[in-house]
Amino acid sequence: MFARGLLFVWIAAWIVLGFAWAPVVPVLGDTTRVLYFHIPAAWVTVVALAWSMIQSVLYLAKRRIEHDDQAAASAELGMLFCIVATISGSLWAKAMWGSYWNWDPRETSIFFLLLIYAAYLALRGAIEGEERRARLSAIYSAAAFVAVPFLMFIVPRIFDSLHPSPILPSREQGSMDPRITMVFLAMLVGFTALFYWLLSLRARFARVERRLLEAVVHG
Amino acid sequence: MERKASSSAAAVWAILRKECRSEWRTRYGLNAALLFAVTSLAAVSFAVGPLGDRTDILSALLWVVLFFAALSSLSHAFVREIEGHTLTLLRLVASPTAIALGKLFFNLIFLVVIEAVTVPLFLLLMGGPPPGWSRFLAMLSLGSVALAASCTLVSAIIAQTRGRGALFAGVSFPLLLPVLAAAVKGTRAQWLGGTVGAEASILLAYALAVFGVSLLLYDHLWED
Amino acid sequence: MSAAVAQPVTAPLALEAEGLMHRYGRRQGLDPLSFRLAAPSAVVLTGPNGSGKSTLLRILAGLLRPTAGSATLRIGAEDLPPSARRLRVGFASPELAFYDELSVTENLVFAAEARGLADPRVAVATALERVGLAARARDLVPELSSGMKQRLRLAFALLGGPAVVLLDEPGSHLDDEGRASVARLVDEQARAGLVILATNDEREMKLGAQSIELRRRGLGDPA
Repeated sequence: MFARGLLFVWIAAWIVLGFAWAPVVPVLGDTTRVLYFHIPAAWVTVVALAWSMIQSVLYLAKRRIEHDDQAAASAELGMLFCIVATISGSLWAKAMWGSYWNWDPRETSIFFLLLIYAAYLALRGAIEGEERRARLSAIYSAAAFVAVPFLMFIVPRIFDSLHPSPILPSREQGSMDPRITMVFLAMLVGFTALFYWLLSLRARFARVERRLLEAVVHG
Repeated sequence: MERKASSSAAAVWAILRKECRSEWRTRYGLNAALLFAVTSLAAVSFAVGPLGDRTDILSALLWVVLFFAALSSLSHAFVREIEGHTLTLLRLVASPTAIALGKLFFNLIFLVVIEAVTVPLFLLLMGGPPPGWSRFLAMLSLGSVALAASCTLVSAIIAQTRGRGALFAGVSFPLLLPVLAAAVKGTRAQWLGGTVGAEASILLAYALAVFGVSLLLYDHLWED
Repeated sequence: MSAAVAQPVTAPLALEAEGLMHRYGRRQGLDPLSFRLAAPSAVVLTGPNGSGKSTLLRILAGLLRPTAGSATLRIGAEDLPPSARRLRVGFASPELAFYDELSVTENLVFAAEARGLADPRVAVATALERVGLAARARDLVPELSSGMKQRLRLAFALLGGPAVVLLDEPGSHLDDEGRASVARLVDEQARAGLVILATNDEREMKLGAQSIELRRRGLGDPA
């Protein structure tokens, strides 16, 4: 109870601070604020995918359904955060460079992640039987795992780049006001905590649902 | 151990021969795939016309056509077994890995046959400069191996879903994107007279990665 | 006569099940079961519909991974891993289907080659003789009647003379002559190794010296 309240206050407070207190990055102007949402969302997207894939492999190794619960829950949430990241990135691109989508490396990467999530969830939706669904989607997840490094790093380089790199220009002297960094890191923590909370909720829900059905069957 | 390895190889070989014989007897799979490939090629050619030296579009279109041909046909190998209820028979005589490998090699041969028809037709219809043959063929063969490896694993999964092959294209797409990207880039490079070393390495690395991970995963494919 | 007829197993053979249980989703397919069977023997598996006879045979054949428990096949002191089990266990059940575009012989030769049998063609010829299907060897599978298809399944199960033969309702679709040959085949196999047959047919129930009876699950059984 307390933790949830704290999380809510934390995120809300840092959002306000991000607008009212931290300055803008000169080159980005008012769009600086998107840093606080877009990147944490993208970060959670990647974390969620990694977690989902790890749980998939664990399921194949240990065959405990709890691993599948985690894999599925993480994928659902990851998809959500991925959509947030994609849309916020697209809006930012429009504000910065005038067009919603350019297929630059970062946009391309996030799109690929969206595809993987969509494919995984579509696959799950089409398989009957809890065990079979867990097993087959875990196999796919493990296979997608080898594609991810190629999709994230190699493929985008094959296209031209519009995105400023690195995201946090630490090399530029004095360009990152410490207040910006603080808000950014705080939001990173907040988003991660939010993901963790939603994940445990979702996994718990799956467990309860299963126990309920078993109780009905066994009387 | 020695017996196990040789009987696995025997199983793979027997399955491959069986696939070829079955395909040859019925042929509807091959016919459908060739028809599809030629049709999509004709559609592209009709819509775009000869492209002269637009090598960027040429290489992209070539691979798009090949991809569509692969996506429309490579799932048949497993869907056929499920629909004919012969998977039980297969599983009783061979290990899951042997089954998958047999199908993989068959899919590769199948792809090569389709490409043997489609690629010359493409070069003919779409114009374009003569390719640097060794580099062009390197791209084609490495791309095909990567394609076959990915499609075989995904189709083995998809065949067990409701709606069988319907999801095949969508689900395999993320896994095929690296192949598409590298193959298109490499094919264009060879038309521009450049080297394809980087793209060839990517394709090879990817094919090996997918194949390697598949070998670990095949065992889990069929358990009920 | 050759290597393909059931050969007496020289080392002691045991098939053990330990707490084997299977659930299909929410539905109980097989109640927890343990047993130890030794060769040579013929075992009859009985029980009402839905009690798990087919489920048990599929688990023993390696086609189905049980929800809980394990089954081991031991020859001598050696626990056989799944790949080796595949070579020593023959299986036939009503849903076993063959390739329609291939002939009887082609189907069986394929199976024999994939299994790595030493002399595939000889093994196939012998199996066909034993089930009385030799005359139809070159026919394509769709040309067979349901009784002939059943004989084909039996030939497949006996291919290469496996140590353990699992038969699910072996007499289905067969005429009296067919059932008589099933009785004969079960008898031959029981002398050489282990045969387990699942059946509801009273005549078939008499073919086994031992029996395992599965009871239907009570409350909670699905509609």
